[in-house]
Formats: sequence, structure tokens, C-alpha cells
Amino acid sequence: MLNLNLNIIPMKSSVFNLVNIVLTISLSFSSNAQSLLETLEDKFPESSQYTLGTFKASRISIGHSVETRKKGVLEFQSMTRFWKVPNFDPKTRSQSLIADKINTRFGLEYGVSDRLTLGAGGTTLFGVFDGFVKYKLLQQRDDKMPLTLTLLQGASLRTMGGTAKDINFTDEFSDRVAITSQILIARKFSRQFSFQVAPTLVVRGSNRFEANPNSHFAIGFGGRYNVGRHVSVVSEYYYQANPLESKKTYDALSIGVNWELSDVMLQFQMTNIRGVAEDVFITQTPNNFNFNDGNFVFGFTGIFILHTQNRLKRK
Amino acid sequence: MNKLITALLFLFTSFTKTEFKGYLLTTNQGHVSFFSHTAVENIQAVNNQVLSVIDLSKNEIAISILMNAFVFEKALMQEHFSTSYMETDLYPKATFEGEILGLNLSAKQAQTRLIKGKLTIRNITKDVTVKARIEKKNGVYVFEGDLDILISDFKIKIPPILSPNIAKNINAKFKFEYYPDEK
Repeated sequence: MLNLNLNIIPMKSSVFNLVNIVLTISLSFSSNAQSLLETLEDKFPESSQYTLGTFKASRISIGHSVETRKKGVLEFQSMTRFWKVPNFDPKTRSQSLIADKINTRFGLEYGVSDRLTLGAGGTTLFGVFDGFVKYKLLQQRDDKMPLTLTLLQGASLRTMGGTAKDINFTDEFSDRVAITSQILIARKFSRQFSFQVAPTLVVRGSNRFEANPNSHFAIGFGGRYNVGRHVSVVSEYYYQANPLESKKTYDALSIGVNWELSDVMLQFQMTNIRGVAEDVFITQTPNNFNFNDGNFVFGFTGIFILHTQNRLKRK
Repeated sequence: MNKLITALLFLFTSFTKTEFKGYLLTTNQGHVSFFSHTAVENIQAVNNQVLSVIDLSKNEIAISILMNAFVFEKALMQEHFSTSYMETDLYPKATFEGEILGLNLSAKQAQTRLIKGKLTIRNITKDVTVKARIEKKNGVYVFEGDLDILISDFKIKIPPILSPNIAKNINAKFKFEYYPDEK
């Protein structure tokens, strides 16, 4: 409208003409070119958005992910490993179709706040009980924060064992404890791909063999690639910098598929680990990853999520 | 002389511009909620940070809705809504631009008017006509109403196993309170 006002003035000189054009351009930029929607979005510029769903569950496959549970969310987990025993005596061999041995961990996780999660669980193999505190310190955000960083502090107690083959003493309570500390650093690179690096320190309460280090340092690498909107392929590998000396151990490896639907998440793994607690599978995996009986472990994790708080009623 | 005319014109245009601004009423705390009712479950979500502006000189309205800001009863629903259904990483906002038909600025009582415009969700634009109740209280305009949105119109993909849980037709309610612009 304003442009028209200017243009109907008779042009008497070229100088006037030039001024007219400049004015017209500047005015049309300053007000008329903008739609009402653009005016609105200019007035309230949006703040940058947090990246959602770097990983879908609190575990990538076998180890922890940077994800914490939202406030008031209670998560039930069952993590089971199945494997065969090599050269098993046929007379005593069980008639089990799928596996000779099963190890299960039942666990609970609760979101105290959106950033803080508490968890506990018990594993049937060696009677390992574990608990952890997980805190999301940094969260990936458009433009502002390139990655998510979560701190994990866990402890586990081994209640069975007590043979001379054990790497730890079993006399005192503190002898049976192992402390695991992890810094989980992850980035969602694209809608499909997320990657995590996890420097890990495992400290054992006691050491039966002098050759073994008391503390182990390891680095975990984990990746997730979405193949569908609810299905992803995941893999994890834990490199041990100073493994046990008294017996041969192998690095933990897992290749798996995660399937998510509504409140349920199912994770399937091909792996070499039998234990579930972090210190057990990272530092004490006795077998390599291959498809031989005794080495190949099939893992299945079922996660069910229960919401104990209605977020609509929260102020 | 020419310079004088230009200067006068410039003054005139800048004057009309500020006058025009006075007709803009905005809010950044508009309410939009939606409800999906099925035999299996009811799903409700609320967003209290919706941006909107009305231009009383042209009877125009614009709305911008940040999709991540919808709050659901369950935290996981919110995550699924953003990541799987609305794909907010690709389409962060839904917008509406329209014209309020027959708005009477001097009316003392509440008036019901049709708003005709374009609703854009997931980059898909549909023509919609919405009935709104408009009331002016102490210089504050209040717009209230609802509309039905067909999920299929906006190509929102729902896995077959979950289709009984999500209504085909979503009822959305809105309420905006516009305060005069302070600038």
C-alpha cells in the first residue's frame, strides 16, 4: 500500500527517482513484506529444542544408555541370557530345547526427576544384587549443546560363590562388593543414528590373586540405527584396558535388535556375555564371541513402563 | 522541494506504520488441547505456550503451535507423539493463518464468528473454517472454540497394532486471551 503512495508522485528528476526507489525498497522490507505469522514468530523467537530419543531405553543393548526415566515413571525389566554348555554329558543333559543355562536379572528403575533415576535388580547367576544412581548432567540441544552426558554410579554384591576359583574373597561384606562408575557420552547424529562412548571404572572390594588389578578401566562403545519407526539395530562393545591376569577374559560384544511399542520395549541380543551387572560382564566374561556352544549367548530383555504420575495434573 | 515531499512522505508512512502496530494484539500463552476418544483409551494433551496474533485492522489471525510443548498424561506418550507421529525434528510447528469473518469491534457482548483460513500441520496445508466465540473484556480479546481434525488429512502414520487406540478424528480446543501490544 505504501509503495503505491510513493509511486504516484510525478517524477521530476532522476535524483528524486532514485530516492523514491530506495524508499520504496526500504519500506517494503520494513513492514509490508511480512505476513502476520512472520510478525508473530519474530516477536516470540523460539528457544532451541532439546533432542528427543537419543536412545529409546535405559539400556542400549547390554549396557546403560544416556537415557534416564522421566519423573514418576517406573520401569520393570527382565533381562535373560540363554546359552548351551559344550560337551555336556548326554546322560545328565537336560531336555531343554533352547538352552542349558539361563541367567535372569529382574530389575526396577524409577525416575525421581526427569534427570535422576534410581535402579536396583537381582541376578540369578552368582546371586548378584545391584543398584545404581544415574544423573543426566547435560542434554543435547539444537545449536547449544552437541551431546548428552549422563553420570552413572553403581554397586553390586555377589552373594553366591566362595570357591577358590573366585577372583575376590568372600569373607566380609565389603569383599563381595564391586563399584562401577561410568561417564556416558552420547550424540544423536541423525534421526536414525546415535552413538555413545562410555569410559568406565570398575573397582572390586577384594582381590584373591595378586596379579589382578583391583581397578579396571574400560571404554564402552554403543550405537543405534533405526531401521523402522519402532525397530532399531543396536551394537555395543566394551574394551578392557587392564583385564584380569589370573584368567583369560574377553571383551563384551553385543549385536541386537530393539523393538518398541507403546509401553513395552523388547530387546534381543546375540552376545558373549552371561552376566548382567556391569562389573560382571565388563571385566569377567570368560568366553569369546562366536557361534560355538558355550560361547554364543542369546539375550532377551523385556521392559515394561508404568506411569505413576499424571503429568497433566502436575503444576 | 522534492526533498521536502520525500521527507513528509516518509514521516507520513512511518506514522501510519506505528498506527497499524496498535491494531496488533498478541499472546504467547494461548491454550490448545486435543482429545482422542476410542473404546480402548482416551488420550489428552495440553499446550499452554501457543503463540497467536490478531490484526484488528484487517480482521486477520495467525497462530503458531510448538508441537514439542504438548503435555500428555504419560511421559512416554509425549515422546511418541513428538518422535513417531508428529516428527517434530522435521516439522516443529503447526500454524494457522486466517480471516475472522464479520468481526464487530464495537460489540459489547460475546459474538460468535467464523474464522476461515489455512491450517498447516507437518507441512500439509488444509483449508478450514472454525467457529469461535469472541468476547472483549476490559480491552482483552478472548477467542474460544474447537475444531475436528482428521488424522488422515495430515498423513500421520499410525502402526496398525495401535490404530484402535487412536481416534481417526481428533477434537482440538483453543482459548486465546489477547492483550494489547505494549510497544
